[in-house]
Amino acid sequence: MAARGVQVNKANTDKVFDRINLIFWVIVLVAILYPLWLIIVASVSEPDAVMMGKALLWPVGFSWTGYQAVFQHKQLISSYANSIFYTVSGSAISVAVTMMAAYALTRKFKGKKGVNLYIIITMFFSGGLIPQFLMNRTLGLYNTVLIMIIINGVSVWNLMVARTYISSAVPNELYEAAAIDGADHFIYFFRIVLPLSGTIIAVLAVYYGVARWNDYFTALVYIRDRAKLPLQTILREVIATLTTSTSDADFFSAYANDSHAISEAIRRAQVAKYCCIVVSTVPTVALYMLMQKYFVKGVLIGSLKG
Amino acid sequence: MKKQNDWQLWVLLLPALLYFFVFCYLPMYGIQIAFRDYKAVFGILGSKWVGLKNFSDFFSTYYFARLLGNTFLLNIFGLLWGFPIPIILAISLNQIEHPLYKKLVQTSIYIPHFISTVVMVGMLYLFLSPSNGIFNKFIGMAGGAPIYFMAEPGWFRTLFIGSDIWQHAGWSTILYIATLTGIDPELYEAATVDGATKGQKIWHIDIPHLMPIAVMMLILSCGSLLISNTDKALLMKTAANSARSDIIGVYVYEMGLGKAQFSYTAAIGLFTNVINFITIMIVNSVSKKLNETSLF
Repeated sequence: MAARGVQVNKANTDKVFDRINLIFWVIVLVAILYPLWLIIVASVSEPDAVMMGKALLWPVGFSWTGYQAVFQHKQLISSYANSIFYTVSGSAISVAVTMMAAYALTRKFKGKKGVNLYIIITMFFSGGLIPQFLMNRTLGLYNTVLIMIIINGVSVWNLMVARTYISSAVPNELYEAAAIDGADHFIYFFRIVLPLSGTIIAVLAVYYGVARWNDYFTALVYIRDRAKLPLQTILREVIATLTTSTSDADFFSAYANDSHAISEAIRRAQVAKYCCIVVSTVPTVALYMLMQKYFVKGVLIGSLKG
Repeated sequence: MKKQNDWQLWVLLLPALLYFFVFCYLPMYGIQIAFRDYKAVFGILGSKWVGLKNFSDFFSTYYFARLLGNTFLLNIFGLLWGFPIPIILAISLNQIEHPLYKKLVQTSIYIPHFISTVVMVGMLYLFLSPSNGIFNKFIGMAGGAPIYFMAEPGWFRTLFIGSDIWQHAGWSTILYIATLTGIDPELYEAATVDGATKGQKIWHIDIPHLMPIAVMMLILSCGSLLISNTDKALLMKTAANSARSDIIGVYVYEMGLGKAQFSYTAAIGLFTNVINFITIMIVNSVSKKLNETSLF
């Protein structure tokens, strides 16, 4: 093993390895980023160029018409506001409830085993869509704003990650020191645990926030009122259906009396689909970018003990 | 700690316990409608017991084999392709030495995860459109005839799984990267002194460290072999591709909520739940024997 020639060979193998690895990642990055780039390019190109499939690398004939159409689409704007409201209030509640329960589960108390079991069971058994639907309807949650905020409120997985994080980030000595001053659990939680849990709170906020912002199934099942619909449901009408006629109608309803304006609006609606994608995705990606530095650390500490 | 403060812990737990009660345990109570002929006017308790009728109706329907086959195959192929890729990505990412480049790569592979399912499927429709989608543009440049991707049953699984991998494989690396970051650097140094190549270090250090977490992830995914991403399948389903896109979750949605067949579809839900639970138990005990890794 220690012979010189072998050493040199090994250094060479490593160089080859690095080169292959580099090529591999260039391919992966292009595969991931090109479709995203294509969406952005199409969203600011001339509608005709997009429809001909010409805007493949750079915007062709820069224009904002698609974005103008998006911002004139009343239902889209109000659903956007709904989504912001559902996401912010829902995630705030989820994070708070998760953190409180996670802290409690790091401490010793009578009945803790039972509580753990009670929570874990829900990971393996569930009522299923239909019993869940019937129960929520019986509770009067059907077609309410409330269901959009509290359904999917606590994820067991997130709860476990938060619990592991708290038990490793908060040393026992801190509790003992505070106990001497007569602290109780509320004081531990608010004065000691929360100030030390910035990382995991950020991670939870992103997990819950993104899931809520992107959720379209809940509204599909529970919401009938168009005024309460979240963004994703409207987006589906605009971009994710093969038949574009109904969604396009919203884009050109304003010009209903002018046939020239209608054809212009239909043309615009094609590009508007790309603009919708950009406008709806910016918040989640921005949130991720802001919180990025917390992720690996949060997951690392949270997963230590599984 | 002082015992008399226990009530405060219960106060902190209360909202979570209440949540699980209302959204998990109450629906479990509602499962009994699978054994009844549920009529809304009579309520759950007032509806007639019918025993296993709803189950046998499902097993004897023309759709049964097709639904089960489609759901199972979609998931098993998804697992076969989707499971190893994040591990390979994480190991490979861990080998990048330049910190800035590493950061760029890591940031980029996470981004698609933050796109919604609706947008993802919308992108499929836009990019795969036979008239002006980019894929068919390239096929056209190469002299081929346009392919109606979204209307072709043969393409459904490839598109479903492929887009899932594109969207989530990068994000799934996060656990593996966290694990690799936690490996003691002295191990690598010792291996370097012994003259190990990068390949050998991966084989003898990285992979053994990743095994326990990988097995756990595998067990967890085996527990959902009959549960698919229903909302994505609903969005991707077209009349033309239903030979492959008819899966259990979509059927339950369409029959249950669309046609108000509550008892019948509750039975289907219970059936898949039981199968999934049995699967997870089997995989868990096998892995316990082979690997000493298990969920519980």
